[in-house]
Amino acid sequence: MSNAEYRNTMTDLLGDSPTTQALVAAATRNFPSETESLGFRNNADYLGVSTLSAQGYVDAAEQFVDAIVANEAFLPCAPVAGAEADCARTFIDSFGKSAFRRPLTLEESSQYAAIFDKSLKAYDFDSALRATAFAFLQSPKFLYRVEFGAAPSASSSRPSAYEMANRLSYLFWQSMPDQTLFDAAESNRLSTPAEIEEQARRMLRSPKASRLLEYFDEWLGTDTLPSTFTRDVTLYPNLDPNLVSLLQQETRTFVTSVLARPEGNLSDLFTAPYTFANAELAKHYGLSGPTGSDFVKIDAPGRAGVLTQGMMLARDKPTRTSIVRRGLKLRLDVLCQLVPAPPPDVNLTLDTANTANLTQRQRLEQHRTTPSCATCHDLMDPLGVVFEGFDAVGRSRTTDEQGAAVDTSSEITRTKDANGPVSTPAQLGEVLAKSEEVRSCYVTKSFRFFYGRDADPADACSLAQLAQSFKGKAYSLSEFLIALTQTDAFLYLPVRGSESP
Amino acid sequence: MRKVLSRRTLLRGAAGVGIGLPLLEAMLPRSASGATPSAPRRIIFVFQANGDQTKRRFIDTGETSFTFDEFLAPLEPYRKDLLLLNRLDRRYGKLPSSERADGHQQGGASLAPWKSGEGAFPIGGANRSIGYVMGPSADHEIGERVLKDNAGVSARHLVFRVNTKENNIWNVSSHAGPIGQQSPVNPEIDPYNAYTSLFAGNTSDPGAAAALAKRVAMKQSALDNAIGELGSLRAKLGAADQQRLDQHAQALRDIERSLLATTGGAACAPMPLATPKLNVFDDDKHVELGQLFFKVSAWALACDRTRSINFNWSGNTSNRVYKSLGMTEGHHDISHISDDQAFAKVRVIHKHLWQQSVTLHELLKATPDGPGGTLWDNTLVVHWNELGQGDTHSENDALVVFAGGAGGHFKMGRLLDFQNKASFADMLVSCFHYMGFEDVMSFGDPLLNSGGPLPNLKA
Repeated sequence: MSNAEYRNTMTDLLGDSPTTQALVAAATRNFPSETESLGFRNNADYLGVSTLSAQGYVDAAEQFVDAIVANEAFLPCAPVAGAEADCARTFIDSFGKSAFRRPLTLEESSQYAAIFDKSLKAYDFDSALRATAFAFLQSPKFLYRVEFGAAPSASSSRPSAYEMANRLSYLFWQSMPDQTLFDAAESNRLSTPAEIEEQARRMLRSPKASRLLEYFDEWLGTDTLPSTFTRDVTLYPNLDPNLVSLLQQETRTFVTSVLARPEGNLSDLFTAPYTFANAELAKHYGLSGPTGSDFVKIDAPGRAGVLTQGMMLARDKPTRTSIVRRGLKLRLDVLCQLVPAPPPDVNLTLDTANTANLTQRQRLEQHRTTPSCATCHDLMDPLGVVFEGFDAVGRSRTTDEQGAAVDTSSEITRTKDANGPVSTPAQLGEVLAKSEEVRSCYVTKSFRFFYGRDADPADACSLAQLAQSFKGKAYSLSEFLIALTQTDAFLYLPVRGSESP
Repeated sequence: MRKVLSRRTLLRGAAGVGIGLPLLEAMLPRSASGATPSAPRRIIFVFQANGDQTKRRFIDTGETSFTFDEFLAPLEPYRKDLLLLNRLDRRYGKLPSSERADGHQQGGASLAPWKSGEGAFPIGGANRSIGYVMGPSADHEIGERVLKDNAGVSARHLVFRVNTKENNIWNVSSHAGPIGQQSPVNPEIDPYNAYTSLFAGNTSDPGAAAALAKRVAMKQSALDNAIGELGSLRAKLGAADQQRLDQHAQALRDIERSLLATTGGAACAPMPLATPKLNVFDDDKHVELGQLFFKVSAWALACDRTRSINFNWSGNTSNRVYKSLGMTEGHHDISHISDDQAFAKVRVIHKHLWQQSVTLHELLKATPDGPGGTLWDNTLVVHWNELGQGDTHSENDALVVFAGGAGGHFKMGRLLDFQNKASFADMLVSCFHYMGFEDVMSFGDPLLNSGGPLPNLKA
């Protein structure tokens, strides 16, 4: 499990409430951030349990055991002296099913009963119960999603009903299944694509679906803003102290609104001339409209969906915008292209004597006259230049840091089908939203996050299925999430059993 | 003669705060004869980022007559205990272009001189995505060997980084291996958490000890159970998954080992770290956080919890803004510029970090260790950086500074100029030899090694 999945799972396991959320947040505060891979932190190949993360699971679980044994849903009985094991068995089977997200086998039930018995001999009933709950939370069957497939039939390479319930719940909720999914698994109503789609649509409507915004946070990079955003106070005085959080909420609210409309699509994501703000954020942007603390939809002429939201623009430098970084983000994560390393020991020394009075745009243009620089910078700078009409904290502007009028005219090159002149973010957004390369990138990114792994050659059919569905539903973002449950990669197991932590 | 140490030997901490460090002679490893306690050898890698300005390291480069230029000047008081290894070559250019990452990425993994894998990052590779290095780092391998030989040592290595929450190819320097596998070791970034993990189990209060024993029993039972389950699962899975489960089982055994160590009674109970807690993500607190990590490191070494530490002032490619030094731009951004003004700033940042790093030297000198000695006598501090010169991202011209008494293994007080004819990996081989593992003649990819330790280092 990723940290987000662990937190969500534990929250649902204990029963979601503000108290639970606070307990889980505190107990998992020291979890090391996961190893990043291809822009996400949930790739199973890189989620091995290290000593530090294992220590985190041990320390956290100690803080959960009291709440677990106090939960009557898991412990509906009281121990009878001399027959404590009976009540303990009830606990083991009910809590065990929630923790392992499937019914325990008889063997597993006995295995955990033995842990209880051993602890009971040394301590008391409550202590023994806590020790048993603690053991469940250290189990790889809790910490990983292990899949062995449906009943041992040689022809079957489908996940079992409970495994499918888990696939669905971790896709939409980044968490364990709810009772409805458990019931559907129990009565084997998760076997046809139609049954799965029905559950998927139900889940997407649930408030818990807000947890899949983690995908957008990680894809767009909003999640790392708190640890990377720093601005020089002299050049950017009086910034709202909550700015980072406001920018994160802006994008989350915007994406939620696009997902909420069945027709909300990729084009909305990259071209919307509106955004969401509360009074505080509107004041920062210099926009009018919102008066309260709630985020409401407001017109934002000249803006282009997520491309011009503050979180995207704020990946700049402490003292100025960064054309390079803005362009790099689009090249890597919207076009899914590679940016190669400079050759070893390339001479990066520029003739700086004549650049003092140039704008950033002009300096970069000079930079790109050197072929070894242009190789990479042609990929980044022309995309980034288009956003010069916004400062390093996302506010609209007409002059740059040196007082020169901003020039956003540009020509995009080295894409498959998005080349050509553009001069505004809105134009660029239009071009990107219509680009097959960008659409394909969105499919690839979603595959990686929602399936928790990189696509391999065997997934070619699933990627093609997804591309087809995306197009068939006019690039609707919510319909695309449903489509993720209808691919071979989702409905079937790879030939060999696999697990994802 | 046996030296009696008070249980709360007061020493002056690096930050000027008195810290208590207990040291019981009973803890000291015995020499082969079993009679006289002998201090074990320890190693601490200390990392600072983004390369420096190579021509401003030294004014005089004579082997013993060397003089430091501006940013290395904080090292002057320690010169008799220094071995300055100048101009080592990382040799990454020898790796096939598809199997090496860019200067920062590959250089940040210099302690793990292996080729890079693929599949993790879209920037920095040649014509494919690049991955983490595929093999262990020296801090991990040295620690692994120490564990095998010393049942009493609980932690293979400790990996600390100041600031930065996220873990990626630009800020992780420790790797677990095995060879052929990407397995970065994400560092501890919270010194308070490091302290708790290492020392919370130490108590002299009988009531607390009983409660602790109960918790330990609960943990051991659960860990044994989980290790058993990992073993059962393993048999049903493919090779790649098996490696991951093996890593998990290893992690659980590590925790069991440390549980045993922390329940060894009150033998080693350092004073708690100062409160209130600092925000561990706050770049403006990097000095204080670094010094807390230094304290935890010194205690961990003195209590023999580990003998290998990998400390990082930041990730490689660090873009920390050194506001206290009057900087407004990030370190990495500054280091990319080749003009005099930028180099002046780079020198200021490096001087600042060297000033902070030598507080570790002071702490080691103030911490009793072995008969009549201090940790400084029995420790090698290895100061390193991911690049040679910052603006050119040079993979050669590496400066590595060995500091400490290092058990008398090296002939200190010298500057050696290797003229890029020896490699950074050869230097790591010298570290293995210092730690007593003289069978190691090469560490990392053969292309990055010369086939032995650096010449002319030993006493």
